[in-house]
Amino acid sequence: MEFSHFLSAMTPFNIALALFGVVAGTVIGSIPGLTATMALAVLVPITFSMDPASALILLGAIYTGAIYGGAYAAILLNTPGTPSAIATTFDGYPMAKRGDGDLAVALACFSSVFGGMVGAIALLLLAPPLSKVALAFGPVEYFWLSIFGLSLIASLSNGNLMKGLAGGAFGMILSTVGVAEISADIRLTFGSQVMIGGFGVVGALIGLYCIPVLIDLVATPERHLKVEENVKSVRISEAFKIAMRSKFNLIRSSVVGTLVGILPGAGGSVAGLVAYSEAKRTGKDHQKFGEGEPDGIIATESANSATVGGGFIPTLVLGIPGTPPDAIVLGALLVQGVRTGPAMFSQSGSIVYTFIYGLIIATILMLPAGLLIGRYAYKSIVTIPKAVLVPTVGFMTIIGTFAIRNSVSDVIIMLCLGVFGWLIARFGFAASPIVLGLILGPIAEQGFVQGWTIGAATNNLIGMFFGRPISQAIIAFTLMTLILPIYLAYKKQPHKEV
Amino acid sequence: MFKNNETAEIGRNKMLKKHIKNTVAIIAAATSFASIASAEINGPVNYIIPFGPGGESDISARLQQPFFKDKFGEDMVVSYQPGGGGAVGWASLNGLNGDGQTIMGVNLPHIIIKPAQKNVGFKTDDLNTFYMFHYTPDAIVVTADSPYQTLADLVADAKANPGQVTMSGSGKASANHLAQIKFDKLAGTLTTYVPFKGTGAAVTALLGKQTVAEWGYTTVGAKQGDAVRMLAVAMENRHPLFPDVPTFKELGYDMTGGAYRGIALPNSASAETTKMWSDMIAEINTDPAFQKKMLDGGFAMLDVDSAGMKDFMAARVEEYLKDAREAGLIK
Amino acid sequence: MGTSSSKSQGQFGSLFISTLFIFIGLITLYDTTSYSDRDSQVFPQTVAIILIITAGTSLVTRLLKPSNEGGFGEGIWWRRVLFISAMFITCFAMPIIGFLASGVIAFTSGLIAAMHDKWSFRTVLIYGCSGAIIMVSFFILFKFILFVPLP
Repeated sequence: MEFSHFLSAMTPFNIALALFGVVAGTVIGSIPGLTATMALAVLVPITFSMDPASALILLGAIYTGAIYGGAYAAILLNTPGTPSAIATTFDGYPMAKRGDGDLAVALACFSSVFGGMVGAIALLLLAPPLSKVALAFGPVEYFWLSIFGLSLIASLSNGNLMKGLAGGAFGMILSTVGVAEISADIRLTFGSQVMIGGFGVVGALIGLYCIPVLIDLVATPERHLKVEENVKSVRISEAFKIAMRSKFNLIRSSVVGTLVGILPGAGGSVAGLVAYSEAKRTGKDHQKFGEGEPDGIIATESANSATVGGGFIPTLVLGIPGTPPDAIVLGALLVQGVRTGPAMFSQSGSIVYTFIYGLIIATILMLPAGLLIGRYAYKSIVTIPKAVLVPTVGFMTIIGTFAIRNSVSDVIIMLCLGVFGWLIARFGFAASPIVLGLILGPIAEQGFVQGWTIGAATNNLIGMFFGRPISQAIIAFTLMTLILPIYLAYKKQPHKEV
Repeated sequence: MFKNNETAEIGRNKMLKKHIKNTVAIIAAATSFASIASAEINGPVNYIIPFGPGGESDISARLQQPFFKDKFGEDMVVSYQPGGGGAVGWASLNGLNGDGQTIMGVNLPHIIIKPAQKNVGFKTDDLNTFYMFHYTPDAIVVTADSPYQTLADLVADAKANPGQVTMSGSGKASANHLAQIKFDKLAGTLTTYVPFKGTGAAVTALLGKQTVAEWGYTTVGAKQGDAVRMLAVAMENRHPLFPDVPTFKELGYDMTGGAYRGIALPNSASAETTKMWSDMIAEINTDPAFQKKMLDGGFAMLDVDSAGMKDFMAARVEEYLKDAREAGLIK
Repeated sequence: MGTSSSKSQGQFGSLFISTLFIFIGLITLYDTTSYSDRDSQVFPQTVAIILIITAGTSLVTRLLKPSNEGGFGEGIWWRRVLFISAMFITCFAMPIIGFLASGVIAFTSGLIAAMHDKWSFRTVLIYGCSGAIIMVSFFILFKFILFVPLP
């Protein structure tokens, strides 16, 4: 952890790479359908001619920017630019609708920078011990974690509990369509080839979140977002003050994000959800969450940015990628001849530490860059006449969905889901539970089947599912999260429908 | 006809030609002209991996990438098209342009077993596989601190406690799974296979002691180094990277094989294009620097070109279908 | 609105969708009977049952306590239909006339659908040009920088 590595990270070239990466990543992340994974995949060959540390810094900076960039579309268009920004729509879009969009964007920036720093510092100081967390999480823990994530549906569906749960179950059914991972069966395709690939998360996200918004935008002459006539730049200090007031939320969410990022296969979306759930459960004003509560954005954006640093922990220490972008980074490293694994920190220490410092620098650079881009993004979305905004976003959804798997059928599926999502939203069925079910379904299923297989083989089913300490802790959190909204729904029984 | 890059001089000329070609290509693309079929590379090639990033297919493609650029002067762009365990990519291959700019990775046993199980959108013979350039030999992997020091230890434990030895692996009806079934038959044991999504997840499970062993590949041993111990590898001779690890054959189990990986073109590609690609990949494959990188990664080299592909595939089809039928995976 | 709660749009729609979900759950259960591996049946069956129970509960409670909640609300229908059908047509046209051409269909229809003010020569020009620029820049970004094979 020598300081010399910090200096080598501070070379003008590396700083330029970090800045470029953060900016490019932010732009990429803000376009729904374009993911960090795609961007990294394309840019890997450029890194072959660079030295490993600089290459890593570039890739890490893009990744950092992309996770942050997803918030723009989430806040301003109710469409997560990347899956990690799903939970940001919960409070981001309501805030934008009531004219606080620029505040939301600035908040997202501060939170992302803070969360990213926490993740990067964890990577710097605590990587080897924290990597053990990644290993301690077995199939059963993943199963309970996904149940915990799904319990968020209950707490989200203020008053519409049954409909929310139905949506979640529906999402989970959607996730089973196609070739099963844990067995060789093909499910719910009804003999058609089109559905063999199943419902991709990104396509479903775009369909279920963005299309309904567009359908309603064309239908009415009102402006898309309310615009406050006066105050513009003062909002940055306002955002800062709000963030400082929620210090505990910030810190807790960043830690949660780092820990979830360490778990391979979990990723930014799960981190945002878990952090949001906790913030809502412990927040002063539960009801305000989901209607434009700044604490919601603070929680989700700091958590999902913390997964960047957190995800690199198992990637570098164990050679096991925490998230798909990490897998690409691993590939790039391998080509350069850098061996990952426990020896990496000692053998290739200079590369690793230079990279981590570079990541920290990139995260810091995201503050000015992000605020600037955020302001620009907000201004343009708000001032572009709706007549141009709608077709542009519509066009973006088509090209973005196509780019996921180079398939037109994906776009058609996305549109069908979109119309369906709009329809059911009219009658009380929200989109988020469905997307949650879609994301968490596979994690739940695989965890359950694997846990069951192992438990049955070792004649230890009960102990397997209920006897492990981490699982017990997660179950406890789940129960706490569930009891609150059921209690609230019970209190409100006479007035709201279930 | 294929490009061959031997000196920097020729390289520089080709770079200039490439830039001019690129500009022309862009203009042509913008006006949507169909290109005349010829056995030449024009511009960057698209190498589609039908899985997500990070797997063995991705790693081996990434290793090929710089050598391709070096030898033939063009960019090799790796993109991912996951879904259906590869089925989505393979089902879409023949819908792609056969002009030689697009290639796709293929995997055995996947492309043989999947169509045999259900209608997945393609048949094994549909895929114009023109080269098999490596395989990852099956291997049983345990953690470094595992009580199993040798394969015999594991077998003894499995015999004493049928069903209780849990082994992680990637997917079902995959190379790992077939290996586990085959070995159980040869050794007369009953182990429990726990499927995970990809080799990475299977390795995590092993390292986290969720299972006591893993059916993986030599690449796992290479990547994890001292954290793991391989009990045996399914090769004819010991892997150069692991001189201390016996082969299954040595220990009395007639098992060789693993997951084979190769590359295919859409079947609309001409015979010249196919031969050209076969030769290009062969050239990369015979480059000692490339071989070293692959071996260092734990891969095992293989050279089956377009000429020898038909017989190779026929033999594999027979072998895999027989194994799968015996295992009850297909009817 | 004038309609009684039990006959309102919101009521009918909510009941319809709940029923639809129950139906989907049943289809899923039926499909699981064709799986060969017990492992692949467990999860869909559990989830389908959950779906049927929750949608069923929602159905029953709504029947017992009708309300006006929900409905299509305000909004001009032909615009919505135009927008969505244009997007679908774009998808089907894409393999035939190429990406940019079908994109033009989507964009123009979107413009018409979203434009509530009166058209003037100036707006046609500006919107049309900006549209063209947007489409072409995205096309270049995706096709040539990100190497996405757009038709």
